[in-house]
Amino acid sequence: MTPVPGGRALVRSHVVTGGRGTPSRNTLDHVTLITASREDVEGLEPETRRLVRLCLGGWLSVAEAAVHLGLPVSVTKVLVADLVDSGHVTATAPAAPAGAPSPQLLKDVLDGLRALL
Amino acid sequence: MFSDRVGHVAFSGRPSGNGGHTYVGGSSTYVSAGAPACRRDRETAGSTYPRGRGVRKDCAVLPRRRKSLPRGSSRRVPVPEGHDLLTRFTTTDPWVLAAGLPLVVVLLVLLVRQRHVTTVQRQRTLAAELGISMREEELAHLVDSRLPAEVDRAGGADVEVPAARHPQLRGTRFGDLCQALLVMAGTYETDAHKRSSDEAKETVRGMAAAVQSLAAEQQVAVSGMQDQHNDPAVLEGLLRIDHANSQLGRRAQALAVLCGAWPGTQRSAAELSDVVRGAVSRIRDYLRIEVRVELPVAVVDTHVEPVVLAVAELLDNAARSSQSGTLVRVHAELGHNGTSVIIDDAGVGMTAEQIARATRLLSGREPVDIRRLGNPPQTGFAVCGVLVGKYGFQVSVDGNSPYGGVRAVLFLPNALLVTAKADAQAPAGRTRATPTSRPDRVVPGTSAAANGTTPNGLPIRRRHRPVTASAPTPRAPSVPSAPRHEVRDEPRTAEETASAIRSWQRASATGMTDRPLAGNLGDQPTEDLRP
Repeated sequence: MTPVPGGRALVRSHVVTGGRGTPSRNTLDHVTLITASREDVEGLEPETRRLVRLCLGGWLSVAEAAVHLGLPVSVTKVLVADLVDSGHVTATAPAAPAGAPSPQLLKDVLDGLRALL
Repeated sequence: MFSDRVGHVAFSGRPSGNGGHTYVGGSSTYVSAGAPACRRDRETAGSTYPRGRGVRKDCAVLPRRRKSLPRGSSRRVPVPEGHDLLTRFTTTDPWVLAAGLPLVVVLLVLLVRQRHVTTVQRQRTLAAELGISMREEELAHLVDSRLPAEVDRAGGADVEVPAARHPQLRGTRFGDLCQALLVMAGTYETDAHKRSSDEAKETVRGMAAAVQSLAAEQQVAVSGMQDQHNDPAVLEGLLRIDHANSQLGRRAQALAVLCGAWPGTQRSAAELSDVVRGAVSRIRDYLRIEVRVELPVAVVDTHVEPVVLAVAELLDNAARSSQSGTLVRVHAELGHNGTSVIIDDAGVGMTAEQIARATRLLSGREPVDIRRLGNPPQTGFAVCGVLVGKYGFQVSVDGNSPYGGVRAVLFLPNALLVTAKADAQAPAGRTRATPTSRPDRVVPGTSAAANGTTPNGLPIRRRHRPVTASAPTPRAPSVPSAPRHEVRDEPRTAEETASAIRSWQRASATGMTDRPLAGNLGDQPTEDLRP
């Protein structure tokens, strides 16, 4: 059985978001890419601090960040929106469908992975 | 009983030297021994005064014989030879007088002795009656006051058992029996109380475990829904359900702990800040709690859940006893022997009696009776006390908060702490992507051409840095003397993750066209925050 993210987490989601379920912006998606734009994490809660440090020097999708934080994606979106508001994180849209790799390439990748494993 | 006593007193008036022995041993002995004593009296009287009986018999016969004689003829009628001695007694014969005088003397002696015996007997009877009434009073005092108080005391009530009303009975058989009865009643009540309490605890523990299990199940279900649903309105509803469920779980957990069970959840070692915020998750007014705990210490795995529960109870007390507009502030302080979690509220404070009760409960040495927790049940300090007794940390609430309320301190000795792992952080010196370097621009620069590809067309993955170099350096413990062991690192660090993601992006980029991705965003509403 796949473990549920945050299934029996010690710190519950309502404390992480302060009881809010709605992100301050509705532009975030599972595949929105985020990166840290500020290194100072003073005054941030542990989860947001962890999120900023996670994104230092690279780009992560919201879904990936959620997995690393052990939080549900919807909760992570609330945090990311807060961090975008405070200027700690920069978010950008993922690759558009038109720019996505072709199905043939994906198939090749899949075949290659299978060959490896 | 009364009639027996009267009968005996009547008999005791007879000339008896040992009649008084029968009621020395107490009221019960006295009552039952009445009849035999009388018999003994009669037998003793018969054997002690054989001559007296003869004299009385003679005296009884004498008037009859004298009546049979004609008046005034006693001197004239010659006394035949061998006449009865009784006949001679009536004469003035000196011999008769010589023989009668000792008899009179004996009678007088006997009379004096009888009077003496009677006096002694009367005194003994009086003393016996006094003893009986004293014992009756003592018995009534035992039944009316001492036994109920002893039963209450044995049941756990804070009452004092009154002393005996007649201390002079101490050491007597009666006094010993009364004391034995008191002790027996107390022991029986203590046993019955313990048995009943154990049975009640067993039942409540079972029910609490069932509720705990359901709350845990529901928690997983709610987490699953939070992960699956993207609608913010749904998430807000789920957060409220999760909050209520967390409180439910804490209540059931507290009940189980009060009944002697373990907290019911095993966790891995957790940072102190997470422990405190985990406690915040489980109370009603969690939005009023301000947590400032940033120490690099973690609580060992076996103690995470007990500490969370104890902190949650203290926070709940603090939040409930302060007004809704005030904050409850939590911070932690490192010490030489351990770390303290300090909770300050701006509430009404506690009276001296409340502090004394709390201190008694928080000592961890006082057994908890779940039947005496009141309604509404005051479980907070009782739960903390049980946890303190079992898990070795300390809780005190006798301090004053700088905000006018109560300061509660939970002290964790070094034996319960480990050094916290460092946050997932980019290693120092690593080349960080600038905000202007979009992924689509960074990736082609390090594309497959530079990294090479596999025969199957897959790009060869290459790390930017060796894995060993990417392990974050754990923070040095602030208390060097404390023997702490390291928390195990997670399988993948942030560096590895970011590196893996970059590899994946490179792989994806090999199949992309040369068109810049930024230009293909179309009408998606994603905000671009590039400077």
